[in-house]
Amino acid sequence: MDIDLDIQMKDAVEPDLEDQQSSSSSESFDFPINNVNYSSKPVELTSSNINQLDSWIEQLTDCKPLSEESVKKLCSMAIDVLKFEENVQPVNVPVTICGDVHGQFHDLMELFKIGGPCPDTNYLFMGDYVDRGYYSVETVSYLVAMKIRYPKRITILRGNHESRQITQVYGFYDECFRKYGSATVWKLFTDLFDYFPITALVDNKIFCLHGGLSPMIETIDQVRELKRVQEVPHEGPMCDLLWSDPDDRGGWGISPRGAGFTFGQDISEQFNHTNDLDLIARAHQLVMEGYSWSHQDLVVTIFSAPNYCYRCGNQAAIMEVDERHNREFLQYDPSIRPGEPTVTRKTPDYFL
Amino acid sequence: MEENHISFSTPKSNMAENNQDLYPIALLMDELRYDDVASRVQAMKRLDTIAIALGPERTRSELLQYLDEVVTDDEDEVICIIAEELGKFVPLIGGPQYAVLLLPILEKISSVEEPVVRDKAVESLNLIGETLSDAQIDSEFVPLVEKLAKDQWFSSCVASTGLFKGIVARVDSEKRKNLLNLYFSLIKHEIPLVRKSSATHLPEIVDQLSDKFANVDNDEFNWNIIYEMFQVLIVDHQDSVKFLSVEVLICMLEFLHKIGNKTHHEALLQNVLNLINDPSWRVKYMIANRFEKLVEAFHDDQISLSLIGEFAGLMKDHEPEVRKAISEQLPGYVRLVSETGNHGLQPDANKDIIIKEIIPCVNSLSEDESEVVRAALASQITGLAPYLGNEATIEHLLPIFLHMLNDVFSEVRLNIISNLQVVNEVIGIERLSNSLLPAITSLAQDKQWRVRLAIIEQIPLLAEQLGVSFFDEGLGQLCMGWLDDPVYSIREAAVNNLQKLTQIFGEEWARKDLILRILERQDDLINFIHRITSLFAFMKLIPVVRNEIIKTDIYPFFERLIKDEVPNIRFNVAKAYQVIGETLLANDPKEAPVIESTIIPQLVQLTNDEDVDVRFFATKSLEGVKKALSNYVN
Repeated sequence: MDIDLDIQMKDAVEPDLEDQQSSSSSESFDFPINNVNYSSKPVELTSSNINQLDSWIEQLTDCKPLSEESVKKLCSMAIDVLKFEENVQPVNVPVTICGDVHGQFHDLMELFKIGGPCPDTNYLFMGDYVDRGYYSVETVSYLVAMKIRYPKRITILRGNHESRQITQVYGFYDECFRKYGSATVWKLFTDLFDYFPITALVDNKIFCLHGGLSPMIETIDQVRELKRVQEVPHEGPMCDLLWSDPDDRGGWGISPRGAGFTFGQDISEQFNHTNDLDLIARAHQLVMEGYSWSHQDLVVTIFSAPNYCYRCGNQAAIMEVDERHNREFLQYDPSIRPGEPTVTRKTPDYFL
Repeated sequence: MEENHISFSTPKSNMAENNQDLYPIALLMDELRYDDVASRVQAMKRLDTIAIALGPERTRSELLQYLDEVVTDDEDEVICIIAEELGKFVPLIGGPQYAVLLLPILEKISSVEEPVVRDKAVESLNLIGETLSDAQIDSEFVPLVEKLAKDQWFSSCVASTGLFKGIVARVDSEKRKNLLNLYFSLIKHEIPLVRKSSATHLPEIVDQLSDKFANVDNDEFNWNIIYEMFQVLIVDHQDSVKFLSVEVLICMLEFLHKIGNKTHHEALLQNVLNLINDPSWRVKYMIANRFEKLVEAFHDDQISLSLIGEFAGLMKDHEPEVRKAISEQLPGYVRLVSETGNHGLQPDANKDIIIKEIIPCVNSLSEDESEVVRAALASQITGLAPYLGNEATIEHLLPIFLHMLNDVFSEVRLNIISNLQVVNEVIGIERLSNSLLPAITSLAQDKQWRVRLAIIEQIPLLAEQLGVSFFDEGLGQLCMGWLDDPVYSIREAAVNNLQKLTQIFGEEWARKDLILRILERQDDLINFIHRITSLFAFMKLIPVVRNEIIKTDIYPFFERLIKDEVPNIRFNVAKAYQVIGETLLANDPKEAPVIESTIIPQLVQLTNDEDVDVRFFATKSLEGVKKALSNYVN
């Protein structure tokens, strides 16, 4: 299993960014996100909203980005949906669980060709929609639009790339600037990312998250206690959930990524036992077959960006879980992309 | 944001005095002085807005002057946009009589070293040239081209090569001769980049001359100069220049055909043979790539036939790229051969020579070591069938098809399957059923889902030709099996396929062989995907079967699923009810009471579902069914 060597870049934080963070986290106090029993519920969509969303989805399906004005509306509608979701968002079976997409829009469309279109099929995405690929804007706009249109049919978790710092280094910021001529759209989306749920629980049996476990989290209830509406912190439980990786060594280890931890099979056994889980499903790492078991089938890694970065030569996969908890993995290759640089699939190892 | 005022003095204050509305334009002009490139690029893209706001006179006197000053200092990205925008500027500066004012700026841009920028400038110059009068061409444009072509700086020379095509046919005989001689000097230029560019643009010039002067008696075409240029090109010591001569040759041959002259054929044929035997693979590749067009340009049966050996030789070339290129020319060239002596009256007239000369090479290409060559051959080989006729196709091509259908590389198989129809037209389906069916059956389980998809798409064609009994025996099981494919797109294609089969074999067959078989599966179908696929299949079948089958066989299936635990099933039931309602009514308006008493209450029930999406689709369907009812009742 290759480690995707994203590293936290503290230097990348611009001075004004700190202000942004504090302002967005101060906003978060308005929402009772730590309270599991919500008094209010998301408002149901009006028919004009539905028409608006359907036309956006149609435009995005052709890989055409929305206007800045539309992105603004989209993000504000999305906040109204996502702020009511829980840190551990409950998800029903049947559902199809997917890993990193990383701006590979055409491969996302291929994913729906393999797994079936939403809303007929229910989806759970485990983060990392942006950076690296050429179409982060279209990818994240599409998924967010689908989320607002069919909130019960699709769940989108936060990945470590759904962050202000990481997107400034790995491409989303530059892509927004190139496509819109300013950083406004980047700011709208990164402000929205703060509201994404950080984990999901499929029928109380499969715990889904982007990275992995944290030494500060023993029970799922502890995740429910976290204050999630903020920039991904440099350390602490919320950072770990988005950054950690399973490891062959037992116990907790220092992560080569500079954030999160590595955790051994003993940790996964304890966690699954404590929380009465069958499985931890996570993404975050490139796996050549698209999915990979670890810790004697207690943890599965799912990666849904085929030929990652248009050069890694890996397959992608998604995991279908049916209503009896039968699991089926579907693997797939890159879509056929007219007009994009064709890159040989055989890459010397030293590039990876 | 730098307030870095260059010569173009304070437009903001000027305009604010003249007209309040022009203030935003002043802002745009400030933007053109921004520090970062992206903003200047954005600003330059709105150059036409500024020009419209300024009006033609001030655009000429102020904006053009300003651009003239900034143009060479700025970044390539910005210059590129200026070059592009100026091409659309003729109406904005007051029409063609002022168009020459744009030339100096674009002339400066054309000497920029960056090819993208230079090409944009050339493109815009050509656009402006079209609006100029012949007199302006003579007095302004020709001197500009001459100046660029004679410049010491290679980039100007390269730019000039793209400008001749717009003027050679518009000037008088003597000027034309001079221009062509000037072009000849570029063809012989010491810098390879200039030679390459002039060789690239020569075909356009030849075409211009050919269009205008093919019917003129005296030699306004200047054959001798063109011919000499060509002779220089084919001995250029740079491959990348030499191979461009192929395109020039095609244009020259087309000209000769127009004027009915065959005296040069022998010499030009010798040139072709030399190029085919060139030591450089790139030259051979170019010939292979253009083979059909080149041979056709001779318009000469004898020559078409005489090149068959060379064609076969290229198919055996040791460079895979050449073999791939020539494979793609197979049906085209074979058509030319078969037409010799009879001009298409009998497609397989010359099949003997094709069998003797070409088929052995096709045979060895079908086992080529390179998979791209085999894939290219597979996409073309079926196109040979019409030229061989029934018997020869069976004898010579069918074994090759079958061999390639078992190729290890899936694209090879895919290309053969996608082109089966052509073969079918020649040798008939019985032959296919006996020989190809086993191959298709094995490919139906290919691990590449696009291969499976390609096969499904061939099924209706096969079904139509095979007839129902053979189909049931050979393919029926396969078609049902695809409903359980793990890949959604295959299941979707399988469902569409069932609809098409019903249209071919009729509803009685559909009832017995599809509907009842799908219903039989339901007891074991605990899985969500199986249930929803059956649902989709019925949704597609409803419009193509009669009401009785819908009511007795299909409707109860949906009625069972209306309480399914999975919301996705329930809202698809809601969607299906609309299709059922509309179809029943369209077939027989007297069904209205049945719909009122069965479908409507069920849909109403679904509009109160606990799931928001079920409520949405049920409400939509209910509206649809009610609308259909009101249409038929009134």
